[in-house]
Amino acid sequence: MPEIIEIGPYRPQLLEPERFEVVVENNRITDVNIELGYVHRGIEKLFTTKTYTQNLALAERICGICSGVHTLCYAQTAEGVMDVEVPDRARYLRSIYMELERLHSHYLWFGVLAHSLHDEEAFLRIMGEREPIQDLFEYLTGNRLNYLINTIGGVRRDITPEKAAKIRSVLKKMKPLSNYLMTLLDGNGGFTAKTKGIGILPKEKALALGAVGPTLRGSGIESDIRKADPYAAYRELDFEVITEEGGDVHAKSLVRARETFESISMIEQALDNLPDGDIAVKPGEPLVKEEMGRVEAPRGELFYYIKSNGTNIPERVKVRTPSFANDFTIIEMLRGEPLENARVVIESIDPCFSCTDRLTVVDAKTGEKRKVRFE
Amino acid sequence: MSEKISVYRFMSAGCNGCDVQILECLVPRYKLGELGVEVVFTPEEANVLAVTGGINFKGKEELMKSYEKLKSPKLVVAVGNCAATKEIFDKGYPMVGPPDKIIPVNFYIAGCPPRPQAIVTAIAKALGATLEEKEGYWSTPEGFRGKHEFDSEKCIGCGACAQVCSSDAIEVLEKDGKRTIKVDYGHCSFCAFCQDECPTQAIKLTREYHLLTNDRSTENVTNEVDLLKCVSCGTYFIPPRQIDWAIERVGEKVGAYKEFSDDLKETMKLCSDCRREISAVRNAKRLLAQLSTKARAS
Repeated sequence: MPEIIEIGPYRPQLLEPERFEVVVENNRITDVNIELGYVHRGIEKLFTTKTYTQNLALAERICGICSGVHTLCYAQTAEGVMDVEVPDRARYLRSIYMELERLHSHYLWFGVLAHSLHDEEAFLRIMGEREPIQDLFEYLTGNRLNYLINTIGGVRRDITPEKAAKIRSVLKKMKPLSNYLMTLLDGNGGFTAKTKGIGILPKEKALALGAVGPTLRGSGIESDIRKADPYAAYRELDFEVITEEGGDVHAKSLVRARETFESISMIEQALDNLPDGDIAVKPGEPLVKEEMGRVEAPRGELFYYIKSNGTNIPERVKVRTPSFANDFTIIEMLRGEPLENARVVIESIDPCFSCTDRLTVVDAKTGEKRKVRFE
Repeated sequence: MSEKISVYRFMSAGCNGCDVQILECLVPRYKLGELGVEVVFTPEEANVLAVTGGINFKGKEELMKSYEKLKSPKLVVAVGNCAATKEIFDKGYPMVGPPDKIIPVNFYIAGCPPRPQAIVTAIAKALGATLEEKEGYWSTPEGFRGKHEFDSEKCIGCGACAQVCSSDAIEVLEKDGKRTIKVDYGHCSFCAFCQDECPTQAIKLTREYHLLTNDRSTENVTNEVDLLKCVSCGTYFIPPRQIDWAIERVGEKVGAYKEFSDDLKETMKLCSDCRREISAVRNAKRLLAQLSTKARAS
């Protein structure tokens, strides 16, 4: 007899609420239903009630982990609407801030993974050693999260030589942490046995389901907006798009661990070659047009669409977040897995439900709310 | 409270920034363990409920269920501004919060998000313990965006801060010849747009971050300015300092008009309604004059 087990929304020690209805037969998962909506806040509607500048603060609060990248994508799209060219120095500063954010997001994910694998020691070490990045953000931008550093036309705060020195010293401390993550994931590391061969997402399935970011790269597909459609200073920075074969939780972890080294190197390159000049230009009036923008968030491709009617308030803003794209892969990965692996597999896409929950499907005829259901 | 404190975290309709901060409190350097506090994962084991987010229609029932399951004495702490006022999501259609509309809330920790230091200190305060704040990370760096402060010498009462505010946290109230600018920092997203846009640099975000309270109505910073009466109709309408400031700017920008500054000052003492009326009279006179010249010529 198949048995239906609910994971969540508030039980499974996930960072955020979301409900998974897991169908289990002989302790093997045969099907999964995902129910969204616990973090729905009506953001896309709110976007059309605030001015372009005020919306920066709103875009940032879609997600509290990858908050900076939301403002960057929003600002880039709005710059298209207002026809603004960002100064060179601002482009470099944006890359520095965004790579720092990728570092803190990836390290946090490893902390959560360690927690899911019941490895308290690794959890405390990763979270503890990650704190200097949070302090650094506070020092550079004035807030630990939701730092609102990107603005339409540039960035809000400059990096002075003292600040640059501080960034370098923090990065020096981060290299041992990244090395530690690699040892956890190597042949006999603590994470390897618990993650290898679990939650496999084959290449073809990853593409068919529209996976993005580390989830896609962990299945051996090279896909990165920073390379494919360079923004900020990524055209000038030298970096490698990390891919791993295998598609299991281990491969996805390895992609993120190796990416932290790339991020550290990118920040150092950007600091070495930081051009002089203004950090922001004043944007002009919004033109009547539609604009799209995309960036590579820590979790994958983030997409913004803005429709302007020439007023200071956008007519429509559409956001597609990476977690929403990756959510569907959970069903594929969970099929055939034993139940005890469910949590690790769900965590493996680095799900960010704050990003995802902007959509409720309502049946126009009956007014009934429909669950997002997968069969 | 003598028994062990067990905290259960509940989130609905927030950005998860505060949740990350609560997770970070577990890092040894914040000394949460020293206070005998643990974070648990079911409401049944907990006696403290830490709520984050502004609660939407889906989270409401779950919140009530979690509160009922809590061990007595029940203590509810609203962590972050969404849990106090829904903050920037205030007008979002699915929002049914803030949590204190649904369950009783004992304490509020303001911030977006509050620092882990603020959360841990708040817990210590609730327990009657004190934490040593010796190490560097307890102090805030230069440029930190904390609680607001007005420089009443500089403030001209123009209300530009309320206009640019991203989360409607600043109100402009007029009563009995006084204008009050009221910043509700429990509603603030700490974006610092007000600080950036203030024409006289009168509003500043200070480095103060320990913002614990059990009374939401105290979570505000205000500044009061006098208002001037319209010379024609006698209603209060503008702070005299704003007129002085505007005249100064006009003089700076357009040097040629400096000699008219007295005239300008006089016209600015008229409220917009009266100004509209007088200009209408002028326009009508001009039109009549033009008409009569035309009539005479023909």
